[in-house]
Parts: sequence; C-alpha cells; structure tokens
Amino acid sequence: MRLLIVEDDAPLASGLRRILEAEGHAVDVTSRGEQAVLAAAQERFDLVILDIGLPQMDGFEVLRRLRTAGAERNGPLPVLVLTARDAVDDRVRGLDLGADDYMVKPFAMPELTARVRALLRRSQAHGGPRIVHGPLALDTVARRAFLKSEPLELAAREWAVLEVLLGKVEKIVSKEAIIQAVAGWGDDLSPNAIEVYVSRLRSKLEPAGIKIRTVRGFGYMLEEYKGA
Amino acid sequence: MAARSLRAHLLRMLLPPIAALLVLGALVAYYPSIEPATTAYDQGLIDAGISLGTYIHTEGGRYRLELPSAVDQVLRRDSYDSVYYRVLGPDGEPIAGDEGLPGPPPDREARDGFVSYDTAYKGQKIRAVAVPAKCGDAACSVVVAETTVKRRRMARDILFSSLLPEIMIAFATLVIVWFGVKRGLGPLARLSDEIKARSPGDLRPIDAAGTPEETRPLVSALNGLLDEVAQASRNQQRFLANAAHQLRTPLAGLQAHTELALAKSLPAEVRAELEQVHQSTIRTARLANQLLALARAEPGARGNAAELNLKALAESEADGWVHQALARDVDLGFELDWAPVHGDAFLLREALANLVHNAIEYSPRGARITVRTGRNGSHSYLEVEDDGPGIPLPERERVLERFYRVPGTPGTGSGLGLAIVREIAAGHGASISITDATGGSSATRGCRVAITFPHG
Repeated sequence: MRLLIVEDDAPLASGLRRILEAEGHAVDVTSRGEQAVLAAAQERFDLVILDIGLPQMDGFEVLRRLRTAGAERNGPLPVLVLTARDAVDDRVRGLDLGADDYMVKPFAMPELTARVRALLRRSQAHGGPRIVHGPLALDTVARRAFLKSEPLELAAREWAVLEVLLGKVEKIVSKEAIIQAVAGWGDDLSPNAIEVYVSRLRSKLEPAGIKIRTVRGFGYMLEEYKGA
Repeated sequence: MAARSLRAHLLRMLLPPIAALLVLGALVAYYPSIEPATTAYDQGLIDAGISLGTYIHTEGGRYRLELPSAVDQVLRRDSYDSVYYRVLGPDGEPIAGDEGLPGPPPDREARDGFVSYDTAYKGQKIRAVAVPAKCGDAACSVVVAETTVKRRRMARDILFSSLLPEIMIAFATLVIVWFGVKRGLGPLARLSDEIKARSPGDLRPIDAAGTPEETRPLVSALNGLLDEVAQASRNQQRFLANAAHQLRTPLAGLQAHTELALAKSLPAEVRAELEQVHQSTIRTARLANQLLALARAEPGARGNAAELNLKALAESEADGWVHQALARDVDLGFELDWAPVHGDAFLLREALANLVHNAIEYSPRGARITVRTGRNGSHSYLEVEDDGPGIPLPERERVLERFYRVPGTPGTGSGLGLAIVREIAAGHGASISITDATGGSSATRGCRVAITFPHG
C-alpha cells in the first residue's frame, strides 16, 4: 500500500516512515500541508497520516481540502489524524471534517500499525465485493461465506452480525450498534438475541482461530486474526 | 465590615427629618387655626357681656342688675361649659353675678375695648372677657367667663385633623422608601442572578442594556474584569495547547525510535538499557499528559461546560480502555446508564480515564473491573470498581493528594491520577468517595471510587 505521512517533526516522521516501511508499505513524507494537498491531487495514495499541528496550513485545512478534492476522485482516501493537542474540540472537529481515525501523541507503535491496518482493510472492503479476515472470506455480492475455502453456512442474521463485526476489527462494538445495524424496520431484536447469534458464530469460527471477544456490559470485539 | 442594608440606611437617614417635619407641620397647622377659633369663642363671651350690660339700671348713684331669670338661664346655658358672669360698678364694686370671679389682670391691655384673659375659678381653668358697660354717666364693667371644655376639645380636633394627614404622608413615605429601594435595586438583583447562574467558564461580558444608568459603572467595571480574566484564561489555554504540542511531539518521536530499535536484534545488555529508555519514555509521556490535565483542571483554564451524558462519555472512551485492559489481562466491563451532567467533556473524560487507568494499573492479572454510570435519585454518578488489593482506610484521604502514592505500591505511577480526579470533581461541584468494593470477596477488599455530581 502507498502511504503519505504529513508530519513536520523530523524524528517522528522518520520513525513513522521506517515502522510503516517495515510493515511493507511504500511511504512518502512531507512536512508541509500545501505539499500534501498537491501530492494527493496528483498521485494515488491508499492512506494519509496527517499531523494537525503543522506550520502555516494546519492539518484541519489539509483535511478539508483533501475531502473537497476527494469527492470527485475515485473513492475515499482514508485519513488517520495525529494530534498533540487534547482539546475535545480538536477530536470532534477532526472527525467532523472526515478523519477516519484519530490518535493523540505520543502513542505506541503497535497501536499505530494496528489502526493503519484496520483503516486499509476497511477502505479495501468498502464497496468491494469480498471481505477477507484470516481464513474467513465473505463474498458480499453472492452472499456466500467461505472458511478455509470451504463453504460456510450462515443464517441471515448471523451474516449481518458478522458483517458488522468485520467492519470494525479490533474495535469494540456495542450491542445497540449491532441491533441497529442488523434489525430491519419493525424488527424487535433483543440484546439476548444478539448473544445467541454471536455464540453461534463463535462455534463456527473459533475452531479456525477467529475470536470474538465479549466486552462485559457493552458488546463484542472481533480480534485481529493471529493464526489458528 | 458588616454588610449594610441600603434600605435600613436610607430609613435611618429619613426617619429623624420626617419626624421633625411631622411636629413642625402640626405646629404650623395648629397655631394659625387655633387663633381664629379662640377669637370666635371669645366673641360669644363679649356678646354675652354686652347684652348683660344693657340690664344695668341706675337709680341716683346706685346700680342694680335687673336680669329676668329667663335671660339668666339662656346666658348660662351651654352644652359643654359652665358660664359665669359678674357685673362691677364704676369703682369696681360688685353689683351682681358670681362672687369672686377674678377680674382682668391689671397689666392686660384692652383690644377694641375688651380684655380677654385666662384664669381660674372654683378650681377650674376658665376663659374670661371684661366688657365695658354704660351705667348712667359712669362706666361699669361686665366680666363673662366660661370653663375651657369646648376650647380644649376644639384644640384637640384641630390638632388631630392636621396631624392625621401628616402621619399618613409620613407612613406613605416610609412605605415608598421600603418598596422603592427594593424596586430600585431590582436591576442589581437581576444582575446578580445572571452572574450567579453563570458557569465558571462563562466569561462573556454582561449585557449593559436593561441595567439602570446608575449601575452602568459597576457593569462596565465588572465587564472589564471579566474581559481580563477571559484574556488570561485564553492565554493559559493557548499556552497549555502549545506546551502539550511541544512536549508530545518529541516524545512521540522518542517512543517511535525506541520501539524501532527494540524491534531489531540487539545485544542483551543494550536491549535491557533500551527497555529502560522505553519505559521512561512512556512514563514521561503519561506524566506530561497528567500535568497538562491538572493545569487544565485549574479554575482559570477551564473550558466550556455543556450538557453531557456520562454514559455516552464512557462509551466513546471504552474502546481504548478495553485494549489497555486486554494488554494487562484484566476483565473490563461496563454497567452504563443514562447520567446527565453539566460539565466540561474533556475534563470529565480525563477524570474517568484516570480512574480506569488506576484500576487497570493496580489490579492483578485476571482482575475484574467495572465502570458504572447512572443516576441515584437526582444525582448522576460515575464509578469504577475493581477487585484488586484496595486502598487501606487511613490512606483514602491522602491518595487524593498530588504526588502521593500508597507506600509499597508497585508500578510506575506519578501519584497524580487521583489528584486530577479530585481537582476535576471539585471543579464540577462533585464529591468523591473511596470505599471497599461491594462485590469484593473476603480475600481482596477491592476498591470503588465514585464521583457523585450535583443534580443536573
């Protein structure tokens, strides 16, 4: 994947570049917002890591321009915002302007790489017909699932719950959010029903090393696939 | 200095002059009106005297009063007073009438030929007039007198009728002052209500429109002060934002490079050193975050308060906490119910994050931590409960102090977490309680830290 890092602190920028290159990505670095906007207009990137505290054109402005320019280009460009400021407004503003994720400096590198992976996976899956998670593959057009290339039988509701969780790997998803995403008009789905679907999914997926963790009193989290 | 009531002060200032005016007004009204009334009554006596004089008969130097008894009766008839008379000859010898009725004092001057005077007769105060009368060629005199019952009654009536309106006016003045002051100070009361209703972070100038002319200087002085405080607050916020940025960015770089280096194959002793650097980096980063949070929680630097729901606040942070908990093999759970509060989202998030972080940090592997939000009566609360070692009773007050750590506590904390929580709670008028966990087993007492907010 091709990534663009917009960060004016040279040591941090070089550290990020090396970590992401070690992950197998092609990485470009710029310290100027104006250059980032220009580069994104001329070349195709799969993800932008954007610092908010840039000199002159700040990250918010870069984000705004990327979003207005991106509207007429092919597909959305995921943006992971980095900030050293902790004002709540910044977070809200960043997300309002269309940032896909948000990290406050300093952060642990494994967390950054995990989020980058999640964002890339989401943008690949977005609109794409095929969702892959370790040995699991979902063909969203044909509505068919495969586990280790073997067809996997999923009830409609199980499919819907799994799709929600696959959209947010390594993120916790509340039961309410699952109900909202799964229940059609007039459906009356209880949290208990969700538990039933999740437990059926577990019995089908866990033998293949795919883990759905319960977050007590909150919901579930589909863990990143770490091998069977 | 004792508070002075403007109203009492005004009344104290007004009462003596009003009382003095009351007395003065009564006197001013009384004397001019008593004079003509007295003259009118005197005139009645004079007329009676003149009539009596016509009944004097002269017979060769001897004088006699020939008064029909009917006339005597008419003369003496009076509803209120006893009437007396006495007729004196030219040399002052008594001719007829009441014995011993005193004559006019010698130094008393006649007016229009009559002398009127006050004296006493038969132990009663009387008013008398001496009227000259013709008796042949000589000059006799007639004294007519009456007791003063109706005169006193008249004087009383005059006094009363002049005092009554005065007292009413005085009373009305006091009432007007009492309510007038209240009404006049109404705008000030509204002003203080407006200021009272404000949140500490609300430093907008007070709207001078609608305040009376006299309070404008006060309002503009207040606005000047508010403006300065707002300016100082903005400066502090800006400083904190810059400080945060300046501190965190190099720390992020430091952390990135240490982690990169640690990913390489290194000689064991270098790796051990680097691990130390990495731990220190993380600690420094956390300390920087906490110091910034503490500075932000101080009154001057507070941001804007808004209507919030602690449940939503906890949900928005849950993902990060769950990952922290997983990394330490701790079971983090939630019992979140609607809990509205009026507060600063950043600070409340920080308080909650500190409580959760502490619980994760100081609980052993496999521990169970529960984050709760909800309402207890009209009070919203948030609490974090763990089944870890707990905090011994004598330490519970001290752990809220800055940089204090319970002796023998493992880990690398700075002792700032709970101090931040306390600061933030205080800023929201909320109270903190540290108790044993409710569901704790006997082996571990556990710990529950709850923040209860004023009803909102």
